[in-house]
Amino acid sequence: MELYAEKITFSKKPISIPPEYRPSYSIALIVLILKICCQGSKSSLLKLHLINWALKSNENKSSLKKFVLSNYTESSKTWGIEPSLNRALNYSVHEGICSISNGKYRVLEKGEKFYSKILENPEFLNEEIEFLTFLGKRKITDNRIDLIYKKWKNQNA
Amino acid sequence: MLKINNIKIEVNTNNGLFGAFHSFKSGLNIVRGNNTSGKSSLFQAIVYALGFEELIGGRFEKTMQSVLKDQVEYPKSTFHSVLQSFVLLEIENSNGDIITIRRFVQNPNRKSQLIDVYFGSLLVNDTLESRPMFIHDNGGASDINYGFHLYLEDFLNWELPKVLTNKGDLRKIYIQQVASSFIIEQKSGWSDFFATMPIYGLNNKEARIVEFILDMDVYGNKMKKQELGITKRILENDWLNLSKRFERFAEKGGGKLVGLSQSPIIINNINEINILLSKDEIDYSISNYLDLIIEELDILNQVETISVKDKIGDNETLITKNEEKLNQISFDVEMISSELTFDNQKLSNFNYQLENLNEDLRKNKGASKVQKMGAEIDLKVSENTCPTCDQEINDSLLPLSVKQVPMRLEDNISFLSAQIKMLDVNIESLESRIIAKNKQLKNLRGSQSNLRSQIRELKKELISDERLPSIIDIEYRLNLKKRIEFYSKYLEDLSELKDELSTLSVKWEGILGEQEKLKTDTFSPNDITKLKSLTNNFKSLLTTFSYSSKTINDIAISDENYLPLAKKPNDNLFYNIRFDSSASDFVRSIWAYTCSLYKTSIENNGNHPNLLMFDEPKQQDMSISDFTNFLKELSTYNKAQTLLFASFENSDETFIKATEGIEFHLNHINDKLIKPIE
Repeated sequence: MELYAEKITFSKKPISIPPEYRPSYSIALIVLILKICCQGSKSSLLKLHLINWALKSNENKSSLKKFVLSNYTESSKTWGIEPSLNRALNYSVHEGICSISNGKYRVLEKGEKFYSKILENPEFLNEEIEFLTFLGKRKITDNRIDLIYKKWKNQNA
Repeated sequence: MLKINNIKIEVNTNNGLFGAFHSFKSGLNIVRGNNTSGKSSLFQAIVYALGFEELIGGRFEKTMQSVLKDQVEYPKSTFHSVLQSFVLLEIENSNGDIITIRRFVQNPNRKSQLIDVYFGSLLVNDTLESRPMFIHDNGGASDINYGFHLYLEDFLNWELPKVLTNKGDLRKIYIQQVASSFIIEQKSGWSDFFATMPIYGLNNKEARIVEFILDMDVYGNKMKKQELGITKRILENDWLNLSKRFERFAEKGGGKLVGLSQSPIIINNINEINILLSKDEIDYSISNYLDLIIEELDILNQVETISVKDKIGDNETLITKNEEKLNQISFDVEMISSELTFDNQKLSNFNYQLENLNEDLRKNKGASKVQKMGAEIDLKVSENTCPTCDQEINDSLLPLSVKQVPMRLEDNISFLSAQIKMLDVNIESLESRIIAKNKQLKNLRGSQSNLRSQIRELKKELISDERLPSIIDIEYRLNLKKRIEFYSKYLEDLSELKDELSTLSVKWEGILGEQEKLKTDTFSPNDITKLKSLTNNFKSLLTTFSYSSKTINDIAISDENYLPLAKKPNDNLFYNIRFDSSASDFVRSIWAYTCSLYKTSIENNGNHPNLLMFDEPKQQDMSISDFTNFLKELSTYNKAQTLLFASFENSDETFIKATEGIEFHLNHINDKLIKPIE
C-alpha cells in the first residue's frame, strides 16, 4: 500500500481523570471525613479508606448505608484500598493539613481552616457532606472496622 | 449630587500609627503627587470606601495597594507591617446631608463587606451613631436596612431603573455600573468608554447608563417594549399549547393535521387549517369525508339486505386478501418491536452514562472550588507544586510511572460538559424515535386486530346458514352510522378549536402592530434634544482639546448605545471612534465624552452625580497645552466637584505651566501619602 503522507506525527493530548485523582479534591475529602466522621478528628488509615471508597460512587454509598442501617448485620462488601488516597494523605501530612501519630491521622490547624472554608460555601460538595453527616462520628468506629476485619479473617481462614 | 468632603486613612503598623488626611472643595481639586507617592492609593481608597472597587477590577480588600494591607514604606526602604487599616470618607448630597463611611481594609476580625455608616460628619462630632451595612453580599444592593448601595442610591436621590438582563428577567442597574461613567481609573479606565463597568449580565449596558444619567424618556418606551416582549412570550406559549391540542384532536379522530404552524402567525384564512381523513388511501377534509360516508350509507340503505349466499365468492377473495395483509403487518410488528427493545436498551444505557457524567461534573466543579480554597490557605498542591520538594506536580494522584498528562481542571469540566451536551442530543433524538415507533406499533397492532376480527367474521359467515342476511353487511352499516355521528360532532368541536385559534391570531396581529409602532417612536422630543446637546457638547469639547484624527463633522453619537462614532469623509458608514483615532486622540475623546455627559446632564436636569474623578488623565504623551485646556474646562464646572489626580511629569515646571490661570484647590502629596501620625 502506498502512503501519501510524508510524515505522520502523534502528539499526546491531556486526558480526563476522575476528580478523586486531584490532590486538592482528595485532601478536601480527607478533611471532611476526619472532621465529620471521626471522634476527636482522628482516624485510622483503614477507616479513611472505607469512607473514601464509599464516596466514590452512589452504589458504594448505598451499600455502606445499608450496612449501617441493618445494624451491621447485612454482610458488607469488601471495600477497595486506593493507592491515590495514600498519596493524598502524604501530601496532607506535608502540607500540614493533618499529622500522623500512633498510626492515626489527626486534623491540624490548617486543616481546620480548610474545613471552615469549605463549609462557608459547600455548593458542589453538599452530597458528600450530607452522606458524611449521616455517618456521623459514631456509626463507623475503628472498633467496628476491626470487627469486620476479623470476620473476614475468620471466614477466609 | 455626590460631593466628597474629606478622606482620612489610618494604618496601624508594628511601629505606630500612620495615615493621611485630605479634604476637597467644590469645583476643581487637583491632587498632585509624584509617581510612586501613593496618589493612586488615595484615588482607590475613595473608590473603595464607596464600595465601587469593582471599577478597579475586583472585590474587597485585595483590590487595595499593599500600603494599606501589607506594609508601609516610610521613609524610603524602611518597612512597617500593617496590623489594621481603614478608610473614613465623608460625603455630602444635594440636600446638604452628610454621612461618613468607614470601611476596613485590613482587620482580622472584620470582613471587608461590612462597613459602618455614621449619620453626619465624624470630624465635627465624634460621638455619632453608626449603622453597619453590607457591600456586594447578597442583599448588598437590595436590603433596605443593611444594603449600603441601596442606601447610597437613596442618599443620592436616585431611582435606579430596572432593565432586562441577558436571561430575560428584570433587574435594577447596579450603582457601580453608573459609577463607571464618572470615575475614570488609571490602569484600564483610559482604554475605552466605560471601560471599567462591571457586566452583571446586562444587555447593552453603556446605553442603559447613558439613558439613566441623562434621564431619557426612552426608558418608558423600553419598559413598554419589555412588557410587550413578555406578552409575546405568553402568547407564543398559548399558541404552542393550542397547537398541541389540535394535534391530540387530530389523533383522536384518526386524521392528519395540516396548515397549522407551531409558532404564532397571522391567519387570514382559517379554513387552511384542517384535519384530513383518509379513505381508500385518498385524503379528504372532514366535511367531504362526511359527505362521502353519508352517500355510501344512502346507497347501502337503498339496496335490499344481502344474504350470505350472495356473498360467498366475494367473502372468500376478501379472506385471502386480508390474510395476506395480516401476514405483512405481523411481520412489521415483529420487526418494529425488536427495534424498540433495542432502542430502549440503548436509551437506558445512555441515561446511565448521563447520570455518571453529571455526577462526575459535579465532583469536578467541587474539585475546582476546593482547589481555589486550597490556594487561599496556601496549599502548595493547589498550585501544583510538591509541599516537600517544591517541584512541579501535574495535578494528579496517579503514580509517577503513569506518563499521562491530565487535563487542567477547567478543561476537564468543559470536556465533561461537552460530553453531556452530546449525550443530551443523542438521548433527545433517541427518545423521539422511540415515541414515533411506539405510535407506529400501536397503529399496526390496531389494524392487526381489526383484520383478525374481520377475517373471523368473514369465516363465521361462510359457515352460517346461506339464507340468513349477511351480518357483516349489517354491521358495516351500523358502523357507518356511528361514524357519521362521530364525525359530525367532531366537525363541530374542530370549529370551536378554530375559534380559539382565530382569537390568538388577532392578538398576535395586535402585538406585531404595537411592536412596529414602538420601533419608530422610541425617542421623545425631549430625548432628541438631549441627544443633540450631547452630540454638540462632545463635538465642541473635542475641538477644545484639539482632537485631530478626524474632522469634527465626521463624528456623531450613536442612536443605539450613545457612544461616539466616526465615519470616513465620503462614506456614510459609521463605526466606533476608537478605530480611527490615534492613541492620544482616543484619550481626548474619553475626556470629551465624560465631560459632555456631565454638561448635558446639567443643561437638561439629568441624574449625573456632578462628581468627576480622573486618575492620571494626562496619558499618551499628551501635550501640556491640551492638558491645560482640559483643566480649564474642568475648572468652569462650578456646580460640580472634580477630583483630578496627576503627577505633572513629576516636575514643578510642568505643574506651573499646566495650571496657569486656572482656579483650583490643591492637595499636594509631599513625599508619601501614608506618613506617621503624631
